[in-house]
Amino acid sequence: MFAAIDTIAAPLVLAATTEDDGLNPLVKVVPGLMIWTLLAFLVALLLLRKYAWPQITRILDQRQHQIEESIDAAERTRAEADELLAEYRQRLADARAQADEIVAKAERAGEVAEREGLEAAKVKREELLEQTRRDIEGETRRAIQEIRREVADLTVQATEKVTKKTLSADDQKRLVEEALSELDFSALSGENRRN
Amino acid sequence: MNLRRHPRLLLASLTTLLTLLLLSPVAAFAAESGADEPALNPSDEFALPDWISINIGGLDLSINKAVFYIFLATALTVGVMIYAARKMASRPTGRLQTVTEMAFGLMRDNITRGNMDTRMAAKWFPFIATLFLFIWFSNMIGYLPLPTNTSHTFDLFGLEVPTFALYAATANISVPLVLAIVVWIAYHVEGIRKHGFFGYIRSWVPAGVEGFMVGPILAIEALSHFVRLISLSLRLFANILAGHLLILFMAGGLVVLLGMGVFGSVVLGISTGTLAVIFFLFEIGLVATLQAFIFSTLTAIYLGGAVAEEH
Repeated sequence: MFAAIDTIAAPLVLAATTEDDGLNPLVKVVPGLMIWTLLAFLVALLLLRKYAWPQITRILDQRQHQIEESIDAAERTRAEADELLAEYRQRLADARAQADEIVAKAERAGEVAEREGLEAAKVKREELLEQTRRDIEGETRRAIQEIRREVADLTVQATEKVTKKTLSADDQKRLVEEALSELDFSALSGENRRN
Repeated sequence: MNLRRHPRLLLASLTTLLTLLLLSPVAAFAAESGADEPALNPSDEFALPDWISINIGGLDLSINKAVFYIFLATALTVGVMIYAARKMASRPTGRLQTVTEMAFGLMRDNITRGNMDTRMAAKWFPFIATLFLFIWFSNMIGYLPLPTNTSHTFDLFGLEVPTFALYAATANISVPLVLAIVVWIAYHVEGIRKHGFFGYIRSWVPAGVEGFMVGPILAIEALSHFVRLISLSLRLFANILAGHLLILFMAGGLVVLLGMGVFGSVVLGISTGTLAVIFFLFEIGLVATLQAFIFSTLTAIYLGGAVAEEH
């Protein structure tokens, strides 16, 4: 086992001791390589600073900007939508209120029209009734007049037949008055008035 | 047969493929030892022979395997991120964008903003994000077998191709170390800029420490800042190196080194090969990302701490 380890380690140890400056090439600092590394690193640094980082940063910033704008736009749109919704709700409420008002107004108007119609009909009827009453009254008066004249004539004729003499004008008048006073027309006219 | 409809089959074939891939060094090593070549030296896997020798004023700036990996990681970091950035659209278009945004969110919100105020985060995000991606790509390509082992070649239709090997630049102390140094300087500069030099040094001393205790505490704090330099670089380096060594040994290294005859080698090869797959998945699935995350998060914490009012 130790022999094996010795076999592995020997070349490394040998290398570590046989180099010119006594150092294994594994741990020997090589100035040339350091200078090349430094130069290469600086070149990479400068090139990336000029051609890589600004582009990547620009794109990332741009995207961030776009995302922010999108969020802002979305928020604005939502606010607008909310506003619109509120407005439409308000309008709907207004429309409903207006509709209610219109219906109420129509109902009132209907009621008024009905009442007025009834009123007008009533007035018309009253008028017609009045007219009828007046007609009836006129007819009645004429009839009474007729009757009166008939009665007066009959009275005179009857009296003349009974007394066999012609009555003077004064007698005639007195007789008619007497006869008429015995007749009651008030019942007739009274009935007419009541209807 | 449609593999998309049979995820188990897909997984099985992938695993087999991976096992074969990981076991392939066994064959290579076996062939080598048979041909009486020099014995396997695991540290050779991390040796950095020059590919293109460059020497400027005595400074060795040769291109080698590690430098190649650094270049590859840089190209991937820059290429993938710029491509992804160009494909970005404010209306998400696909998976690439989702992944990019997830990574971006992790780096910006979790790593950077989670550890410093907004102004500091805006200033340091490019640095921390680049650091994260750079380390992440470096780690990840470390698990791709690439034809980078130039000390061994194989013949492909008469073409000498370097052996496919796993290697990671971050498994080399120099790479994490230089990044750690950059971070270390950066956060001290931020601290001094915020508090002034003496104010910054004074901010190291925790609130409530007064009198003769200030001196020793200050010394300990100063030491801890230097330890950060080491811990930050060593953590990344050691994790990646350990992962690569584990995979190297499990996927054949042990078999070759122990040389236990045909039967022993097969038994050992099968058992360690299975472990190699598990370690490989563990490394590529967790460690590579986790270490990049830890390195950049600690950077953010150091930067945030340097400008904080209280230590």
